Amino acid sequence: MSDLERERREIAAALQQPGVSPDPSLRLTRRIFLHKSCILGAATVGQTFGWWPLLNTIDVAYAAEEPFKFAWISDTHLYQKSVNTRFVEKITRAAKEVQAMNPPADFLIFGGDIAQLGKPEELELGVEILKEVKAPQHFIPGEHDWYLDMGAKWGQLFGQPHWTFDHKGVRFVGLDTVSRGPDYWTARKMSPEERMDHMADLDGSVAGPWAGVGRDQLDWLEKTLADWDKSRPVVIFTHNPLYEYYPPWNFWVRDWREVQAVLQPYANVTNIHGHVHQVLYNEIGTMRSIGMLATAWPWPYAPEGVPKLTVPMIRADPGDFYDGVGWSDISMKNDRIENEYIMWGRKQVFVQSAPDSSLSQPEVLRPRIADRIGPY
Amino acid sequence: MTVRTTRLSALSRASLVGVLAAIAVPVSPANANKDPVTPQQLQAYEEAFMEQVKIGDLLFHGDPATAKQMNVVLSNTGMACAMCHPFASDTHPQAFPKFQVSMNKFATLRDMINWCIEKPNQGEKIDPDSDAMKALEAYITWSNAGSVLVPGKY
Repeated sequence: MSDLERERREIAAALQQPGVSPDPSLRLTRRIFLHKSCILGAATVGQTFGWWPLLNTIDVAYAAEEPFKFAWISDTHLYQKSVNTRFVEKITRAAKEVQAMNPPADFLIFGGDIAQLGKPEELELGVEILKEVKAPQHFIPGEHDWYLDMGAKWGQLFGQPHWTFDHKGVRFVGLDTVSRGPDYWTARKMSPEERMDHMADLDGSVAGPWAGVGRDQLDWLEKTLADWDKSRPVVIFTHNPLYEYYPPWNFWVRDWREVQAVLQPYANVTNIHGHVHQVLYNEIGTMRSIGMLATAWPWPYAPEGVPKLTVPMIRADPGDFYDGVGWSDISMKNDRIENEYIMWGRKQVFVQSAPDSSLSQPEVLRPRIADRIGPY
Repeated sequence: MTVRTTRLSALSRASLVGVLAAIAVPVSPANANKDPVTPQQLQAYEEAFMEQVKIGDLLFHGDPATAKQMNVVLSNTGMACAMCHPFASDTHPQAFPKFQVSMNKFATLRDMINWCIEKPNQGEKIDPDSDAMKALEAYITWSNAGSVLVPGKY
């Protein structure tokens, strides 16, 4: 057993004690359909395909005061229009569809990575396009937004990177999981552009384990939640998932154990996150976590660490720029929070048989080798 | 397109070719008494391969200096191969050759690389036998070296 596997088992034993799980009222509803062919498929690919939803929604139960909707868009990765019009077209489509929601969204969450290289013109382009959405907008940063000028332009446009508000019986929190990366640039005398380029490579090794919440923000979170009824719902928006999925791509926050310690007293916690560009679902302790689609492009699942509770998304067609991407329409009605992945061009978001999933072809991968060659 | 200014000075191709040529002399056809491979030879062969892997890694990650040096335009959209294939994941070199649905033909990995250059990246197709193609192939296969061969798998 590897050290990583041993550590994961120890953590699981500590956090997944018998009887400890998200509040029973948060259970997935039974809008699930076991297809005969899927059962055959599951036999060949093991535990990954544990259950098979008929509808492309995840339902979570809790008691909201009155029904409402909100929308999520993230990971638009905009370049300037002159470089890439395709990404512009996709965020524009998402914005128009959010604006057309009926009933309308009470607010829009933008989950980070509005820009690709953190340039002011990229961030401003995103703001301009999102003006299509008339509902209030709340932003959290992604690493692509931040590391050119260390969040200066982002802060000017969007204000504080962490925030909270209450809405119809739910406490919403936005956290910054990107700005506390270790300093990899000063000693190497990198320019801001070089710093940004290393951050912009998902599989780079130079930027290291940059995703984290930070003790200061955790203290703020603890105070923010202190007056909240521990049985009432809390929804936390982050760019990175608040658990350990695949650290080499920062599909985690490095201090997720501390995050869990702060959240443990609260029974109804839902974490909605971006960064992974894929359908993802996990439960850890009393928190459930839902990964969102990008509008720009889908990431493949990591070669290891995909949560067993995740039903994989369908294998995207690389020839269709609108496949495997989209946004989320999130409803809170009849005491349930329902996340509907709006994946353009797909009626069926989840895999229906093993060949539909990239996970059916196991990969053993090596990390990069050439990103440490340079004038440093 | 990333704008990293990484140089390939560390990858001195000329010197490596020289080393290989020097090693090759004693085992040329003129000498019938062939010797077992030496550690020095193995190291040189490994270095020759890894040099190509590193060049392929840089091309795969959109390094403009390397693309310029190799005289290729792999993307005109800002997209690099690695943006959809971190660690060269989901490239499945172990499955080629196979019937490739997106091309509607029986295809090699090199065909697929050129398809990605032309379609998602909107770049300029490269010669299938070019140095750039061989370097990309070296990086992709090296990254996936632990995967099991499944030729033809969808």
